[in-house]
Amino acid sequence: MRKTAIILAVLWAAALAVQPAAAKDPDTLVVVQEAEPVGLDIMQSSIQTTMSVGYNLHDTILKPQEDATVKPGLVEKWEKLNDLTWKFTLVKGATFHNGEPIDAAAVKFSFERLMGDALKSTHRGKLNLFKGVEVIDERTFTMSTSEPYAPGLYMLAQYFFIVPPKYVQQVGDAEYNLKPVGCGPYRLERWVKGQEVVMTAYEKYYGPKPAYKRLIFRGVPEEASRIAALLTGEADVVSGIPMHQRPKILASGKAYLTDQMGSMNYLGLNTYEKPFNDVRVRQAVNYGVNRELINQALFQGKAILCRGPISPRTFGADPALKPYPYDPEKAKKLLAEAGYPNGFEARLAYGTYMPQIQEQAEAIAADLGKIGIRVKLEPYERAVMWERYKNRQHQMFIYFWDDAPEPDRYMYSLFHSKSRDYYYKNETVDRLLEKGRTTLDPAERAKVYHQIDRFLYEDAPWVYLYVIPEVYAVSNAVEYKGLRDGYLIMSTARPRK
Amino acid sequence: MARYILKRLWHTVYVAVGISLISFFFIHLSGDPVLLMLPPDASKEEVETLREQLGFNDPLAVQYLRFAGHALRGDLGVSLVHRVPALDLIFERLPASLELAGAAMLFALAVAVPLGILAAVRRGSLLDLGSMLAALFGLSMPHFWLGIMLVLLFSVHLGWFPTSGRGSFAQLVLPALALGLSLLAMFARLTRSVMLEVLGQDYVRTARAKGLRERLVIGKHALKNALIPLVTVAGMQFGFLIGGTVIIETVFAWPGVGRLVVQAIFSRDYPLVQAAVLVLAVLFVLINLLVDLLYVLLDPQISYGGGS
Repeated sequence: MRKTAIILAVLWAAALAVQPAAAKDPDTLVVVQEAEPVGLDIMQSSIQTTMSVGYNLHDTILKPQEDATVKPGLVEKWEKLNDLTWKFTLVKGATFHNGEPIDAAAVKFSFERLMGDALKSTHRGKLNLFKGVEVIDERTFTMSTSEPYAPGLYMLAQYFFIVPPKYVQQVGDAEYNLKPVGCGPYRLERWVKGQEVVMTAYEKYYGPKPAYKRLIFRGVPEEASRIAALLTGEADVVSGIPMHQRPKILASGKAYLTDQMGSMNYLGLNTYEKPFNDVRVRQAVNYGVNRELINQALFQGKAILCRGPISPRTFGADPALKPYPYDPEKAKKLLAEAGYPNGFEARLAYGTYMPQIQEQAEAIAADLGKIGIRVKLEPYERAVMWERYKNRQHQMFIYFWDDAPEPDRYMYSLFHSKSRDYYYKNETVDRLLEKGRTTLDPAERAKVYHQIDRFLYEDAPWVYLYVIPEVYAVSNAVEYKGLRDGYLIMSTARPRK
Repeated sequence: MARYILKRLWHTVYVAVGISLISFFFIHLSGDPVLLMLPPDASKEEVETLREQLGFNDPLAVQYLRFAGHALRGDLGVSLVHRVPALDLIFERLPASLELAGAAMLFALAVAVPLGILAAVRRGSLLDLGSMLAALFGLSMPHFWLGIMLVLLFSVHLGWFPTSGRGSFAQLVLPALALGLSLLAMFARLTRSVMLEVLGQDYVRTARAKGLRERLVIGKHALKNALIPLVTVAGMQFGFLIGGTVIIETVFAWPGVGRLVVQAIFSRDYPLVQAAVLVLAVLFVLINLLVDLLYVLLDPQISYGGGS
């Protein structure tokens, strides 16, 4: 009798503990990413999942657009004073979440904090062509660059975050990273480390009010668990959905998919050494990889084949180019002309942390085998891959860059010899990249990038692979479209009617 | 006894120094954190400036002495990625690790010990065969797969438990179950084999000959002796679980120390790795000390420090 009573009591206690998840508050939006943020001060980290959280708490001075242009944000209007200087006017009456006013002095403080040595901000390099902020009056300021800088406004829109001077000075950088006071659409309610970041809509936000009163970010590293959270209704928006999980989510009838910025994968070649110092060999490799088949087999045809080095979705990509067709016969012919009728052996390095990378590397190796290039695969852990890359130890390597809307960011970084000349250097490309950066008229500027795209297509220092769009799953109850800049700006989400 | 404990605690210092030396030099061999900290397009000057600021240009020995000097004052450095004191990060995560390891251990022992005893007492019976087969099954199932299956069944289909996270008791159930099941399997098999050995001993035969009730023979005479190897293994496992449940932490988004360390290793967050290795090693030593002290309770013949 006593035993039965104990068992019943235990079962009752268990039943109490195990209550199914309570119905979710319709005013709350739950976003699940692959990782929780490492900090909440957006100036202190360039990790994508961390910045996505930070962008909801912080605002930049302008709003970046998909075509690499900008729209008003904290700054309501701006004018170009000359080729080096812009004058900006802030919106009236905007405040930080603690009530501090957002004025030109706060803008100046923010710039100096971002660029200063004390913070060691990883975003410094993105704004280093700007010399500083000159305060004209409370709402007006100017910013100058050291040379004409075409992507300037876009870079400010993406990376120039505004923080409250008084609060930052009062609490210090370390504390600010835990309890930031931003000026974004949401203000921080609490961060329960390891669990969730909870935010509430800021009532006095200067821009359009977000549709959801409360926003929660959680980090769940395992993709199957993230998808499970979506299917049970615990999550509304889930990031990091691999291509092969798409059908499962669509079949559930509970969610739909959206995508945003993608990962532009490429196969780099060491053009300083034999055999890839010969352009015919490099072109042969481009003809020898069956990218369309890889796309169908691994990405369900959802990847976008690249033509040249500029992503087809980025401003400046030359629309006249066609992707290298798969033509193994032509590839073999080119190899024979270059003096390799029997092919050669080559090493192919890749980082094991990239998604679906093993399959891609094997498929590429198999294709190259058919034209006589016997590939030895070299998988590396992230840090080792990077170190070998910087030490010019790779022969062929698969790497990637985000296919961001603004071409200067990655083209200058990857192809200008002042930035990295590890595996390729070309004076024409250097000159054109400088011209692209300093040509302020958009139409003229597009022409310069078309030229770069075409030149590198022919010179083939890479095998141009594909852009794999980053996929989000969104609950049917929510209207949300992924943004091209790659961050989860949730003030754009609203309940679905 | 007190002297023994003090001596053992003193040993912990040696372990800490040894471990810190080994981990310090190994992690510094494995790559440069500066390149990983900066965005891929950072210029050479930016890389050099940051390296200098962080003191990575000094010789390794100098860097170690600097680390050791700070460590003696209780300062294990600031995480390069999180930008807060490494020790704070670890102590924030430690309760979650202890909670999960403790729950899994409790569950495993509560089921495994009775099961193992029953299997031993009814050796060769259907129950023995069935439970040991199930235990083998439990041992062979990968954590990862088991965790996901539990989520699919109990969260997605039945809706009984949340899929992941920490904070409520319901969120603890699935990860503790996933982790506990393989422990359970191991403990059940261990209990059974130790019990079988003990049950064949003379003192058990004597107890039975004295006419003691079977329940008393098993519960008091046999089990108490069988517990010693079980406590040893359970103690070791518990120490291991605190930092070693990365897979379960990943599947269930459990904010434990294990995942923190693995992420720190991948991002070459030296101070955090260093601090975590040190804390985990010390904890492991302390748990083992606790296990050794438990022996005294279980077996009066064992004593430490002579004559106590």
